[in-house]
Amino acid sequence: MDAYGARDAAGGGGSASPEPGTPPAQGTGVTVRGTEETDAATAAGREPTEPEHADPAEPTEPEHADPVEPTEPERVTEPGDVTIGPPPEPRTDVAALSPRYQIAAALALAVVAVTVCVHLGMVFMHVAPSNTVTKKHGKAIEEWIYPEFEQNWKLFAPNPLQQNIAVQARARVRTAAGEIRTTDWYDLSAEDGRAIDGNPLPSHVDQNELRRAWDFFTATHDADNRPVGLRGSLSESYLRRIVELRLDRDGAAGQGGTVDSVQVRSATTNVRPPAWSGERISLKPMYRVLSWWSVPADEAEGATK
Amino acid sequence: MNRIALSVSGGIARVTGSALGPYQTAVIRIGFSATWLLFLLREFPHRHEMYGPDAPWDFGLAQQLIGLNGAFTALMWTDSRVWFEIVYALAVLAAALLLLGWRTRAMSVVFMVGVLSLQNRSVFMGDGGDNVLHLMSIYLVFTRCGQVWSLDARRARLDREARARGERVVDRTGPLLWAALGAVLVGVTAAGRLGGDPTVPVLLWTVWTASALWWAVTRRAKSAEPRMLLDVVANIVHNGALLVIMAEACLIYATAGWYKIQGSRWQDGTAVYYPLHLDYFSPWPALADLMSVSGTIVMLVTYGTVIVQVAFPFTLFNRRVKNVLLVVMMTEHAVIATVLGLPFFSLAMIAADAVFLPTSFLRRLGDRTARAWGRRLPRGGPVLPAQRDRHSADADEKSRDGGAGKDPEDGRDGGQAEGIEGAEAAGAPA
Repeated sequence: MDAYGARDAAGGGGSASPEPGTPPAQGTGVTVRGTEETDAATAAGREPTEPEHADPAEPTEPEHADPVEPTEPERVTEPGDVTIGPPPEPRTDVAALSPRYQIAAALALAVVAVTVCVHLGMVFMHVAPSNTVTKKHGKAIEEWIYPEFEQNWKLFAPNPLQQNIAVQARARVRTAAGEIRTTDWYDLSAEDGRAIDGNPLPSHVDQNELRRAWDFFTATHDADNRPVGLRGSLSESYLRRIVELRLDRDGAAGQGGTVDSVQVRSATTNVRPPAWSGERISLKPMYRVLSWWSVPADEAEGATK
Repeated sequence: MNRIALSVSGGIARVTGSALGPYQTAVIRIGFSATWLLFLLREFPHRHEMYGPDAPWDFGLAQQLIGLNGAFTALMWTDSRVWFEIVYALAVLAAALLLLGWRTRAMSVVFMVGVLSLQNRSVFMGDGGDNVLHLMSIYLVFTRCGQVWSLDARRARLDREARARGERVVDRTGPLLWAALGAVLVGVTAAGRLGGDPTVPVLLWTVWTASALWWAVTRRAKSAEPRMLLDVVANIVHNGALLVIMAEACLIYATAGWYKIQGSRWQDGTAVYYPLHLDYFSPWPALADLMSVSGTIVMLVTYGTVIVQVAFPFTLFNRRVKNVLLVVMMTEHAVIATVLGLPFFSLAMIAADAVFLPTSFLRRLGDRTARAWGRRLPRGGPVLPAQRDRHSADADEKSRDGGAGKDPEDGRDGGQAEGIEGAEAAGAPA
């Protein structure tokens, strides 16, 4: 399958997780100062030898954090540094909190740590191949992940797509004179290709819309082009509407005509193997032809607007 | 045994005591918001076809799919065209303000709402880049990503200086913003529009409530302890989210790499040739041909890609190797941006990679940027008055406490402030 078709909202309507912790917002504009950086850190910043006080390469996981090096700037908390400013500077040192508050902080730490671990575990299982755990707990994983944490990173993997799939369409048109006429095939993917050629910033409209609509269609239809479930019929409507829009832009209906129905086919052509590979494969397109779809009256009118 | 206890307590002090990686979180905030902002501006002419009520994926189709999966999107609250324009405009605005770090936490929430609203409205419009932004926009809400390189940091410094001069600092914008966002949230909830999956609604309510709590505690609490506790909780949440962001980046590379190993084309060393010759991913066919003229080079790039992607998570244990791989991956994404015609995907990935950049590099980058910026601004531009304030405030402080030292938090916006100072010292005339 193609790589850059990312999420496809496959999820069932599972209920998801409680949120980790309670992030206090800055929106109220109140800033609490409790940061640990000192002049030492600021000054050290100018030198290339500055010890990194927050290199993300170091594990930030609470349980596995490194023992603190004495040279670390953010650990410098000398009382002499914090004597300025009218309100006394509160330090965010848990050790300075009374036991009650320490317990609350520990609780928060535990909740966040557990949530982070569970979330990462769920995401891992979501992107991992089907395995013993996902077979057993697939439902729980889906409920946690969908709809907002869905992801797919099989970028050009396991194999990159090696075929150009062109979506083509034609229309049955009722002309102004009242005749019925069938147009030639319009290569809509080739139109996309022309919009992409030489374009440093290709639009999703050209790069993803039709391509992913066709992926969606093939993923929700069987070999005889019969829709599977609600998603199958959704994909048909979607593809039909894209085709209507494109044919309308191409002026397929002609002056004063209306599109009665449309037909879609795909032409799949192997990418020519590299010259140095010595591989030989057929470069003849393979067609998958769908049946005619009649255009609902409101859409036919809407398209001519 | 003692050593372990020591390192555990040291670790706890570390993750509770401060929000780690201020520069890293700032750089991904800027990276992701800039990517989304540029994307929205680029797609502005196509916005109706992509996300509008009359798009090919029209309101009715979206309604049926969201009925199945419960995804969050403000665009399903009504099929009004005006509402769509408002949401799109707000998404642009939120991205710009998050980029600048204005009321960072609130803007990160609005940014997330913008990203989810548009993407979930037309889920078949997106690609891998949208997917990265989707996840990261959620994770960013949990971070304190405006500690440096932000208008918030600048405001905090100015407030501090004003207080040092004995002035009263009253913030009206914050409560106003909170009230406005709260009114929308209450209205939408009361109208029953937050019915789908509870993840996002719960998150919105939590942030909004926590903001009120934060404000109340800093204002009214008699002792400093509640405030410190909230600060500790905010640090813990930030550090947890930062870990998730970094792990997510590793998962992206690991998944992309390990699945490739199983593919015959990645094994026979021809894989890279094929995407270069797909009509949808070859804006510059001549360039693609040029790049695939040698089978040996294609094989080396193919194997190199897999090796780098698989290796990356493990190189995090060695700073030097990690930095080398970061350069390689960022370069590869820059190439992908052009050659495969995926600029926004690549930008999003580069932004994600940036979370692993070393602090010293980021600070130098910040200094240099601020200096370049200061050089271009005419004297008396928006930055310089603040600069004078800073100097006078510093002098003020020194005279007060005999130069005992500056506010410890100064380091937070040091990246920018130092740069500007440098620019001024260099006599940056317009």
